[in-house]
Amino acid sequence: MTQADNGWIAPSSFAQERIWIANQLDLNSPVYNVSSPTFFAAGITGEHITASLSAIVARHESMRTHLRIQEGALVQVVSDPQPLDLPELDLRHTSMEESSRIISELAETLAREAIALDRPPLWRAKLIRRTEEKWVLLFVAHHAIFDSQSHVIFQHELKTLTEAAAAGTVAPLVELPIQYADFAAWQRETLTGDEHRKQLAFWTSRLADAPPVLGLPYDRPRDKDTGFAGAEVHFPLPAELLDRATEVGKAAGATPFMVFLSAYAVLLSRLCGTDDVVIGVSSGGRDRAEVASLIGMFVNPVVVRTAISGEQSFGDVLAQVRAELLDSLEHGETPFQHVVDAVAPARDPLAPPIFQAAFNFIPDSGIDYIQLGTTKDDLAMDIAPGTSRLLYRTALFDASTAEAIAARYLRLLTAAVTEPGQRISDLPLLSDSEHALVTQAFNDTAHDTSTVTVVEMLESQALQTPHAVAVMHAGQQLTYAELHARANRLARGLISRGVGPERLVALALPPSLDLVIAAVAVLKAGGSYLPVDLSSPLSRRLSLIDDAGATLTLDSLDFADGNDTPVTDADRLAPLQVRHPAYVIYTSGSTGRPKGVVVEHASAHAYLNWARQAYPGLAGVAHLHSPLTFDLTVTGFLGPLTTGGAVRLAALDEAGTPPSFLKATPGQVPLLDAKNSPTNDLVLGGEALTAEALQAWRSAHPNATVINEYGPTEATVGCIVEVIPPGQDLPAGAVAIGRPIWNMRAYLLDEALTPVPPGVAGELYLAGPQLARGYLNRPGLTAERFLPCPFGEPGQRMYRTGDLARHRADGTIEYLGRADRQLKVSGIRVEPGEIESVLLAQPGVSEAVVIARPGPDGDNDLIAYIVGNEVAAETLAQLIPAYMVPKAIVTVDAIPLTRNGKVDRDKLPAPTVETTVSAPAYVAPATDTQALVAEVFAAILQVDRVSALDDFFALGGNSLRGMRAMAKLRAAVDVDLPVRTLFAHPVVQDLATEIERLITAELDQLSDDEVAALLDAETGQSA
Amino acid sequence: MSEPRFTVVRNDEEQYSIWAAGRDLPAGWTAVGFEGTKDECLAHIETVWTDMRPLSVR
Repeated sequence: MTQADNGWIAPSSFAQERIWIANQLDLNSPVYNVSSPTFFAAGITGEHITASLSAIVARHESMRTHLRIQEGALVQVVSDPQPLDLPELDLRHTSMEESSRIISELAETLAREAIALDRPPLWRAKLIRRTEEKWVLLFVAHHAIFDSQSHVIFQHELKTLTEAAAAGTVAPLVELPIQYADFAAWQRETLTGDEHRKQLAFWTSRLADAPPVLGLPYDRPRDKDTGFAGAEVHFPLPAELLDRATEVGKAAGATPFMVFLSAYAVLLSRLCGTDDVVIGVSSGGRDRAEVASLIGMFVNPVVVRTAISGEQSFGDVLAQVRAELLDSLEHGETPFQHVVDAVAPARDPLAPPIFQAAFNFIPDSGIDYIQLGTTKDDLAMDIAPGTSRLLYRTALFDASTAEAIAARYLRLLTAAVTEPGQRISDLPLLSDSEHALVTQAFNDTAHDTSTVTVVEMLESQALQTPHAVAVMHAGQQLTYAELHARANRLARGLISRGVGPERLVALALPPSLDLVIAAVAVLKAGGSYLPVDLSSPLSRRLSLIDDAGATLTLDSLDFADGNDTPVTDADRLAPLQVRHPAYVIYTSGSTGRPKGVVVEHASAHAYLNWARQAYPGLAGVAHLHSPLTFDLTVTGFLGPLTTGGAVRLAALDEAGTPPSFLKATPGQVPLLDAKNSPTNDLVLGGEALTAEALQAWRSAHPNATVINEYGPTEATVGCIVEVIPPGQDLPAGAVAIGRPIWNMRAYLLDEALTPVPPGVAGELYLAGPQLARGYLNRPGLTAERFLPCPFGEPGQRMYRTGDLARHRADGTIEYLGRADRQLKVSGIRVEPGEIESVLLAQPGVSEAVVIARPGPDGDNDLIAYIVGNEVAAETLAQLIPAYMVPKAIVTVDAIPLTRNGKVDRDKLPAPTVETTVSAPAYVAPATDTQALVAEVFAAILQVDRVSALDDFFALGGNSLRGMRAMAKLRAAVDVDLPVRTLFAHPVVQDLATEIERLITAELDQLSDDEVAALLDAETGQSA
Repeated sequence: MSEPRFTVVRNDEEQYSIWAAGRDLPAGWTAVGFEGTKDECLAHIETVWTDMRPLSVR
């Protein structure tokens, strides 16, 4: 390097280094441009302005500074003052209206043009003569030399200097005590040693265990192409709100900034469903008197981390934010990139490190009125008197989402400062009309129906189709008339043995005609049936029957009486009513002990009444392949018998003619072939469904309707459905669960049982006629899960599902996973469903399951199981954070399923050495380029040696380190090397190959003469 | 933070549940006069909700 350009070299400041590094992500983006236009008073001339700007450039070295890499370090190059020659535009002969339009267009064009950091000057100016008397100066500077306080200083000096020039006096500007380069040098000397270590220790302890990402309610996931593209929502900040916030702050010894920040923290905690909110704010960095009047870049991001619980009052949060902010600002000199390196959180290498949401209070300068179309953060709130704005990354958020977030902020803030004592969970996020939308309009499912018992449904169907086949098994079959005659006989026998309403009969029968007769007979007797899983150990069966308090256990039909006429209330021990139980199905609980769900006739009727019109295939042949112990089977069992169809009991793989109706779990889809695939309706339930799992089946069966049916046993089989008609395109990824069915209602609530906004994850609660009575003999558990419903008719209950979901704008519900399926790996919360969907998106992967297994070191390891093509861990590392990449990706022939069709986690094989993605053995770099890349990685990541197969991010790299590594490589190979190359090729050998490709591509663009010249230069010859 | 308090509530069908203490009760529910932690409330319900049939079918 030479000092050929007219100037001298100084170290860069840490802030400049940070900006420079971040800028590498996209060198063509104007994201770091700062505008500072001036409209001068009449009488200030172009000459005055040019002279004044010259004086400012002469006063402030920063205005003569650019940046450059020298010997691997970023340095400032300060040039000597040069005479200014400002481009001038004459608009004197243009109409006022036209000139205003031209000026704002020019201002925007100037602001949106990227300023290269390696070419002086780092600012652009344009002089405009608007009228004979009035001049305008458009001015845009790179953030590396100009922060928002610089704008204030610049405006002040420009005003003072031009006025003095016009008056012919000397401007009363004080001599600058030091220059920016002095500050940078001072910073490099001071921020070392003990004090620096102490500051860093503060941050590492403050940010220990912080969530790696905030979990903002993105409309789209982030990928490696997510850049600086942004947009902004402007909204007025009413003066009375500012006044009120100031008052509330004063009463608490807090600034308005703290009040606005507190409201933002509360908003984010509600939108992200987290009690741990990390926000980036700016520290001005101008606490020392010497730098107060310098133009330059002093700002340093600091982090405010707040623990928020819904029970706190806004005043409590304010007190906490006040303390946190003061503490953070006190440690605000620590360069943010040092904090990032020291904290080194396991996190998404693609996400902005440590914080994704930022907050600014700009009382003096106001917001930059020129929209750059960029954003540094995923979400940034800039509060200023008059107009405030919310900046958002357009790759992640829709405009409507950002607008809603801004509106929610104002609504919440207004309520908070009106009554700071109220609980933050009571602060409104939704407008009244939005509240009505999510609780009522999205649940507009009312459907008139007169409720009858399942017995009445079965018997009226038998009267209509007495000679139709009702049930088939192993070559035998019964007509409706035969089935009911035999069930009537058995029902009489049951009644004589004490079976009636509120009495349970255990069905210990294998899949058979007898099983169907027995179940129907129990219902006719007025009792409720309890299916027993014959494959479970005898002791377990007995304890279940004992726990349920069954009156009788049927393992044969020996009790059949002679009389086969219909059983009536006169025969029964008590009249049968719709609120009497129809069946009890045991489900396993997350707490271990299985619990019996008591489903009343009214609930079963509500579901069947809907299902028989929703699933036309039920009137044909329904293939019933799972035991009745699984409530999913109610559809294929009672559905046909109340619709006129036939129940075919057979194993899933048993040969037969294709049925018209089949219900299965998503995990069973790969088992569906030409023999057992339904011709009309394929209903899938019990587990989350993805488009990928359906793709092959749907293309093989283009005429069938697929229905994604969601519903816990506690809300009777299914109550939210998404219908996928034949031929309808299905976007990749998770399939929505749709809308609630007839008379059912779904609420998405936060922990305080307040509805969450559309797009925001909430826990799913269900209400309506399909709600079960509760858990058999478990009043406490029932009371815990079936809560008072504050939204519908008085006295109703709602069932807490434990599932997470969110509303789309049109009310469609997306399932997001179990609230309690979150795993913790190395202390970090992981949602396995997220990893599974990424695996499923890989070519050739048809099924994926991710579980946590205790590893050799006692910590949980994530293990993925996939069916289909192998997936390399390196591939995943590009798509998800390193901590989410499974320790092993095991390819299996099929995912083992339980008898209920759910994933049998216990049967998944333990990973072997071959399947484990262990650190591969050291592979020496094979080429010069590989050696170079490995060397640079090792230096940046401070590891001893780097193998050709090592992944930058797996070794602890992050985005800042990545940019540094790429800067070093760029300097070494002298080829344009965008930082995103590293994200796309994080493995040493891949990156080396890519670099070689880029070099070749560059050479290809050169003419033969240029190549020859280059080669000559390399070999030291002269032409 | 202290453990959140709940109150035991009942509807017209004499079905029991719990509700955060100090919060307005949804229409159709009345407090039975027992307040405590969640576990205390659920334990209380175990002792008083002895007939889980809805009132209309008792």
